[in-house]
Amino acid sequence: MHAYQDLREFLSVLEHERQLLRVTEKVSFEPDLAAAACALTKIGETVPAILFTNIAGCTDAQVVMNVHGSWPNHALALGMKKDAPLREQFFEFVRRYRQYPGELERVASAPWQELVTEKDINLYELMPLFRLNRGDGGYYLDKACTVSRDPDDWDNDNVENAGIYRIQVKGPNRLGIQTVPQHDIALQLAHAEARGEDLPVAIAIGNEPLITLMGATPMLYNQLEYKMAAAMQGKPYKVVKTAKGLDVPWGSEYVLEGRILGRQREMEGPFGEFPGYYSGGHRYPVIEIDRVSHRKNPVYDSVYVGRPWSELDYLQAMTTSVPLFVQVNTTFPEVIAVNALYTHGLVVIVSTKTRYGGFAKAVGMGVLTTPHGLGYAKIVIVVDADVDPFNLDQVMWAMSIRVNPASDIVILPNLSVNLLDPAGQPPGMVHKMIVDATTPIAPDIRGDYGEILDTPEGTDAWQQKLVALIDSLKK
Amino acid sequence: MSESLQGAPGACPRCRSTATIAQSKSPVAGVWTIFGCTTCFYTWRSTELEENTNPDKYPRVFRLNPAQLATLPVAPIIPPLRRP
Repeated sequence: MHAYQDLREFLSVLEHERQLLRVTEKVSFEPDLAAAACALTKIGETVPAILFTNIAGCTDAQVVMNVHGSWPNHALALGMKKDAPLREQFFEFVRRYRQYPGELERVASAPWQELVTEKDINLYELMPLFRLNRGDGGYYLDKACTVSRDPDDWDNDNVENAGIYRIQVKGPNRLGIQTVPQHDIALQLAHAEARGEDLPVAIAIGNEPLITLMGATPMLYNQLEYKMAAAMQGKPYKVVKTAKGLDVPWGSEYVLEGRILGRQREMEGPFGEFPGYYSGGHRYPVIEIDRVSHRKNPVYDSVYVGRPWSELDYLQAMTTSVPLFVQVNTTFPEVIAVNALYTHGLVVIVSTKTRYGGFAKAVGMGVLTTPHGLGYAKIVIVVDADVDPFNLDQVMWAMSIRVNPASDIVILPNLSVNLLDPAGQPPGMVHKMIVDATTPIAPDIRGDYGEILDTPEGTDAWQQKLVALIDSLKK
Repeated sequence: MSESLQGAPGACPRCRSTATIAQSKSPVAGVWTIFGCTTCFYTWRSTELEENTNPDKYPRVFRLNPAQLATLPVAPIIPPLRRP
């Protein structure tokens, strides 16, 4: 467990752990930055972050990408050892998530207040903006924490929200933001618009790695990301209040303050999105920026979004699996683990003990009715407790042996899904499927399973011995 | 490079509107300019590949007609005003 005070500290840890690659050769904003970040995630799941410091046309721009884009970097973001296995990262994430809430530490000033622009704001001059994918409608802030409060419950910190939303820069101080109905900020915007008001926002860019993970976590509406970050790091989370009363991370590199304009919608997009397809264009809400603050020599942090897997999939991996697990496990303590790594949990694999026939299907329906499940969880695969949901070899074995489609496939018609799922018909609506890949138990007596294979006596001891011998071969 | 660096962007590569402006120039003079379309909000840098800067090379699948803008889906919906 470690509380990084800012992105800079985390980058220095990544560098020390040989998980940061500095690119000092001259590169172009387009297409080099996105191409390099895209290429990194094709290389494997242990790759470093990448920092560009010599960008054509710039004097001192620093752009970092792929900060979260590997399992070692994800482990280090959590303050774990970089070789922590996936399953271990899941259970440690769960353990800390259950410590909610931690505390806020409010301080009076922050390094991001060093340089302030309030007149003639031009974001194109203030930030190193660039295109990610060829069909994108422009340059996006896609890894920023957008902070807002509920106008109907303004002073309630627990319903303050710090979320990662895609934001298009559309003019010198004009942005477009995607607030899909399942997002907390959409609820807050709806309250502001019903009142005929703008919604104040603060957009924090270049943050320590934990709040970015929390901003991508579909926690409950009355859970505050900062208090979860505090629980996750075992230390109060340091924030600074803006003049409008929004809490912003102490360690941010840039902070943009402005308003979502009430009752206005305007062309936004397309943008290459997490399902691996462009989103198309929509009329989305508009933000006007009134004030920009940043550190000296700021570091701009961006995530490449492409056909999975990309850095975004690491951001949406444990952050999706863990809240789903915690919420389902509250109702069904028999649930052992949840793997929602795939496309933000459009596919979810749950391992559970089963108490009686039909139990696994009920667990599957429980996943569908979690807050995140309402917009995702299109396919839920339920496996027994002896199957590791993070080991796809085991999951496919369970699917191939423990499924009889005659009784193990449940289709639920016409349920809600994220608008960005291209399979939706109409967009936002989809049938959902539960695959019961658990062994039938009484009174659901089906199949002829007999005795399951175990391992020969001494296999575990041999495994340990052989791992050591194989390691010695490599030396 | 298909565009002047002196702030004459020409038509928008995406919607061909001529309501285009220079948004910023590179801190090192003369390397690039960022242009923007005030009709469809498409943004491009003078040094990008022609598929992003030249209306004739811009991919057909991403092209827009300004008349389409008012027909795009609205999300999220705008709620009714509360009664005072």
